[in-house]
Parts: sequence; structure tokens; C-alpha cells
Amino acid sequence: MWWLALHLPQLSLEAFAATLGDSSHDRPVALVADHRITAVNAAAAQCGIQPGIKRATALALSGELLLGQAAAERDAAALQAVAHAALAFTPAVTLHDTQTVLLEVHASLRLFGGLAALRRRLKETLAPLGHAVHSAAAPTALGAALLARWPDGGRGVTADLPTLRARLDSAPVWLLGPGKAHWDALQGMGLHTLADLRQMPRAGVARRFSEELLDELDRAYGQRPDPRLWVELPAAFETRLELFARADTTEQVLFGAAVLLARLVAWAGARQSRVAAFTLHMQHEPRHRESTAPSTTLRIELAEPALDPAHLQTLLRERLARITLAAPTLELRLHCHQLVHAGPPNGELFPSRGSEAEGLVRLLERLRARLGDEQVHRLQAVADHRPERASRAVPALTAVGATTEVGRAAMKLVDSALPLHRPVWLLPEPLPLSERDTLPLLDGRPLQLLSGPERIEAGWWDGTPAARDYFIAQAEDSSLVWVWRSRLPVAAGEVNWFLQGRFG
Amino acid sequence: MIQKTVWAYSSLVNASLPLFQPRLLVSVPSAATLATPVTAPLAIHPSLWRAHQLGRTGADARTTGFDALDAVLPGRGWPVQGLSELLLPHPGVGELRLLAPALAAAQVGGRGLMWFEPPAAPCAWALSALGIDMRQLVVVRARQALAMGGKGQNGQKGRFERAPPAADILWALEHALKSGHLGAVVAWLPARLPADALRRLQLAAQAHGGPAFLLRPAVARHTPSAAPLRLVLSSAGPDLLGVAVLKRRGPPLAAPLTLELPQVLSPTALARALAGRASVDAAAVSPSSTPSSTDSRS
Repeated sequence: MWWLALHLPQLSLEAFAATLGDSSHDRPVALVADHRITAVNAAAAQCGIQPGIKRATALALSGELLLGQAAAERDAAALQAVAHAALAFTPAVTLHDTQTVLLEVHASLRLFGGLAALRRRLKETLAPLGHAVHSAAAPTALGAALLARWPDGGRGVTADLPTLRARLDSAPVWLLGPGKAHWDALQGMGLHTLADLRQMPRAGVARRFSEELLDELDRAYGQRPDPRLWVELPAAFETRLELFARADTTEQVLFGAAVLLARLVAWAGARQSRVAAFTLHMQHEPRHRESTAPSTTLRIELAEPALDPAHLQTLLRERLARITLAAPTLELRLHCHQLVHAGPPNGELFPSRGSEAEGLVRLLERLRARLGDEQVHRLQAVADHRPERASRAVPALTAVGATTEVGRAAMKLVDSALPLHRPVWLLPEPLPLSERDTLPLLDGRPLQLLSGPERIEAGWWDGTPAARDYFIAQAEDSSLVWVWRSRLPVAAGEVNWFLQGRFG
Repeated sequence: MIQKTVWAYSSLVNASLPLFQPRLLVSVPSAATLATPVTAPLAIHPSLWRAHQLGRTGADARTTGFDALDAVLPGRGWPVQGLSELLLPHPGVGELRLLAPALAAAQVGGRGLMWFEPPAAPCAWALSALGIDMRQLVVVRARQALAMGGKGQNGQKGRFERAPPAADILWALEHALKSGHLGAVVAWLPARLPADALRRLQLAAQAHGGPAFLLRPAVARHTPSAAPLRLVLSSAGPDLLGVAVLKRRGPPLAAPLTLELPQVLSPTALARALAGRASVDAAAVSPSSTPSSTDSRS
């Protein structure tokens, strides 16, 4: 059994910093619970603020201190994200306490090429989540957890049980959970390291302090079994982030959404799948005290399921740029129910056919997100003689390579029968032309009819009959145009000639 | 052999010599030895050329499909990794028949084609008759409306009526060029563009792996542009296209070309056009007469 422990000493502060938005990191920040400081960052520690002092004292020590409320569920959500990221490496992941994640990696070492390579890849995977991680490896779970928590000598790999015991012997007593609570008493007795504690009679220690202290000591030294409950992956992803200050601009919303997207990618990676669609709910500030808070929902669907947080962020940014938010945003929630089981994205250096196609789909997705779904389309040939119905625009991403067999066969037919007798440009609405001496006028000049008439009669079956004689005509500047005259009877003063298109 | 000497005055650095003493600094061989130049600029670097010759493009140029046009373009074809600007009086002079061979060649190998804001609805049948694969063509439109046509019955406006500068299309075009996943790109842009738009597009086109065509109204010929190749197209006759090279890497073209486009007109219609009179008697074929066969061409 090989256990890898990941200790996140600054988890609460980092989870709080994610709600702040893009403000500067040099400010002293501290977390408060029950009017006492629980966690401080480096800048606050320099001002002399320590965990345990009162809130008023801390504010007196530093004028620009930013105080936030300690929230256990926010920390738990951040730790869950780290556990999900670790689940991509091994199915045996468990949470030890509020700041440590334990992985059992014995069965994964061969796949990832050794412990060092696995630790490196784990570090790369955890990098987007933005936490400071201290890791240690040991043969027992609790031993690894203690060593990871020990800032001075606990890092690195402990190869076997005797080495672990030797290292733990020199570890300080306050590493043990119960040891922290009884730290004063232990210090008064002169017990500083775990070796000292083990030399004491067991019954006496159990009676004086607690059974749990002995239990933890035995489990760390490998003398007692340490069964754990593994973390289960939820079937659907749901997370929320309550912003510290209300977000007035899109950038602030995007900063919070980036944190949520990193968690989404960690969860999807743990499930060995890619994200196909996700939904972002934004809860806004209620305008009046009594009314319900308005909310905006953005649903983003990807044509090609992806696992790249940068790409998801880009799509979200383009969609957010198109909408105007009703009110400042207070809370963000991210849902994902749709996953596609697929391998990890292609990471090769030189472009291949598959990666080119994927790149094109990403470009189309981005254009669609910015301009709208109908603005990016393909043309499909329809077998209809009426020219205005002969081409149809289909949205680009639903019709990837999807002309039907009928269409393709019909296109071959037209290739042989009518090579270039159709103009490339068709006006969306036929332009009425005035007439002089039975010749149509374009820009005030008569057109010279060169070829025709080509009679097209169609559409009697769907209520828009067209009976037209088409002529190819030459305009004043020798460009060729396609005009038609209706064969259906018209009233005396009405227009009969229309311009359908130009030969480009 | 008389050696020509070049007399120069020494600089003040060497102050030991009197000031106005001529000093031999360098000797240049006479005209006889200059007949064979020591090195040709093309041998030094592919992007160097002499002013009276056609330049070379850095990468391979794509053939246009028209030999007469290939002969006058630097690199014998459309430039790759650079913009080619075509200026038209109005859409429909034959520009797509000119571009069709290059676009069809760019689609070989499954690469895509992207059109930005075409001036009217393209007809899928006509494009596939020209050899363009519909499955690999994507059309991108901006969020603003556009109208096109000539002056019709009620004096309705047409031509290149466009809403104010198409920022959407410039953004989309830049990203499409930078992605490098497309075979060729064709964009219809207005005559008035922001000052640096074309420079940005030219820089973005360096990452593009094929030709990039910008089609603009002919009034834009008087504004400078960063595109390395600029052509002015006009209709020179039925099924004929007049091409004037406005700008290219090389000497200016003396006379405009006339290219023969793929035929739209049948031979009799062509003869009628050249004869200059409309012999298709439209009055004889009026709605009241009996219908003739569908594909009769008189």
C-alpha cells in the first residue's frame, strides 16, 4: 500500500480569495469565526495578526484588513474539487480532515510510470485550481497525512515502514489531532516528539488523555488497520460560489466562473469524459427588499465535447458579452448533466487530420457564440426548380458533412445538364424592374436579352406557384444578369419583370 | 584596364594628415566587369527582387487557373499567407468564376472554406457547378443587415449598401485567419474600414495556410491598403473579365488583362451579345402564347 497525502494549509483563504474577484493580492486578508480570527495570509501575518486573536484587535493592528466569514461549506467544495482532480489518478481517494486528501496509489504506479511522474502529473492537474499543496508519500495513510502536515521534515517519499517509523519518531506531538488539543499538558510533561509519547505506558496515556490519541498513533505507525471510506463521484456536477462583493462587470463574473469551470473540468476528468453542455445560473441583487432576486441562466452547448478550461471560458466570455445583466450578480451556480465518454483531448505537436477538424469545430463554436447560431451556416442544395428555394441555409454545426444522398445525386445531375446556367448571386427578394418597349430597365438602361426563355413552372403544390420565363441579359456595363417575367396574368399597370440574380 | 579610383576626403579622425589631401579609400572595377553581377538578389534571399522584375512570395503561390493571370502575378499565382484584394464595381462581374479554380483547389484534402458576409444569397447549385464542395463551405454573416441590387422600379437603393463598419466581420475574419485550420477565406468588406484593420488582417494572414481574398467596392482603390496584391476587376464583355493590377510585388502592369471566364452564354447567345442587338424577341414570347418546351434556347 502506498499512500500519497495532499495537504492544503491555505485552503480556507484560497477558497475565500476565489470569491473576491480580481482584486490585488497584497492586501492583508483574514477569516473570522465567532469574532475570532481563524486564518490569516502572509500580508496579515506581517502586520502581527495571528489566528486566535479577537476581531477588534486585528482591525486595530491593520487598517486595511479585509475580513471574511469562515464558511465550512465553501472550504468543503474546494476540497471536493481537489479530490475530484485526484480521482483521475486513482479510484481510492479519501478525505482525511478539512484540509487533507489521501490517495492510495499502489495500483496506479505502473500506469503513470512511477511515483515521481505521478506526483508531477498530479501537480500539473491541480495547478488550475490554484491551491498551495504539500504532499508526502508513505506506506500508511495516517503516516503520510502527518508527514504532509509537518512543514519542516515531512516532505518527500518514505520508502518503507521502518523509515516511516524512524521519521515519525522525530515528529512533533502537535501533528496528531488530539495532540493539538492536549498540547499544553504534553508540553508540561516534557513530551515533545512522538517517540516520547510512545515510550509512555499505554494505559496511562489512554486514561490521561484519550483513546483516540493512542488509536491515531497506532494507525500512523502501521500497528492498527486503518480502513477508509472512498470518495464517491456524484453523477451530476453542481457547485456554487457566493461572491464576496457584488459583481458589476463581466470580468468579475468571469473570474468567479473560471474557478467553477476549473472544478467542472476536474470532475469531468475524474469521470473519464468530456463536457458536452453546462449551465451557469447567475443570481442577481433584488431591486427592492420584498421582491425575489432575478436570475439569469446561460446554457452553453458544445458541438465538440471538450475538456479544456480555456476553451470553455472563451465560449462563456463570448456569450456573456452578448447579454446585458439585469442587476449586479451575487451568486454563481454551475450545473453539468451532459457528459460524453471519450478519451482525453489530443496533445500531439504536429497537426493531424483529426486535430485540424477539431480546431475548425472550435473556431465555428467560437464564431457561433459571438455572432449567434443562425449567422454561421452552411448551404444545402434543395431539389426545387424555384431558384429562391433551391438553396437553404443550415446552421453549421448541426450539419457537419450531412448532405443527404438524394441531394448529392441531384447535384451530379445538374452538373451534366446545366453547367453554369445558374447565377451565383441570388437576390433575397426579386427586384421589380420597369419596362420600356417590352424590355426591362436596370438602372434606367434597357437590358439586352441574350438567352432564353427558360420556363420554370413549379410550386403549385404548396400554395406559392411560380410560372416564369427566365432570360440571361446583359447590362450596360456588360455584366450578365438573370431576369424573369411572370407568365401568370398581371393587371395593366403592374410590374412584370424582375431581377433574380447576377452571374458572379 | 584603367582602374577607376574613387577619391574621398579623409575624416577628421586621422588628424595627422593635412585636411584637403585626397585619399584613396576604395577601388571600384570598371563597367566591363559590372556586366556580370557578382550575385543575383534572389540567390541571397528569396524575398529580395530587383525593381524591374516580379517578386517572389515567401511560400508557394496557388495557381489561379488562368495562365494569362499567372504570368503577371508574383510567384505565378495567388499569394499564400497574405491578403489578395479584389476591387469590384458591383458584385456579379465574374469574380467567383475567377476565384473558383483556386477555391476548389484549396478544398482538396478536406480543408474548409469560409465566406464572410457575401453580398447576396449564394446559389448552391451554381457553386457546385463551379467545383466548390458545399459540405466544406461555411458562410458567416454579421449581425447587421445588408442590401444589394441595382436601381429598380421605384428607385430602390442597391449596390453595396451596408451598415456602419462591420466590426463583427473583422473580428471573425481575424480569428479565422489566425486559427490556420482553413483552406481559403473569402470576405466581402466595405469601402470604408478602420485605419489599421487591413494591417491587422495582413498580420493575421501570416498564420493562414492558404489564399485570403478580400472583395471590396472599387471606390476603395484610392485608399491605401496593406494587402500585397490588389486587382481591379471589371466586366469587359459577355463572359469576359477585365483585370487591372493595381498593386503587386514588382513593376506596375502596363495594360489591363482580359480573361475568358467559364462560359455562361451559349454560342448563339454570345454571338447575339457581340452583335449588339437583342434578337430574343421578348414580345413574341408573351404570357398569352402557347408554352414551348422547357429548355428551348432560340
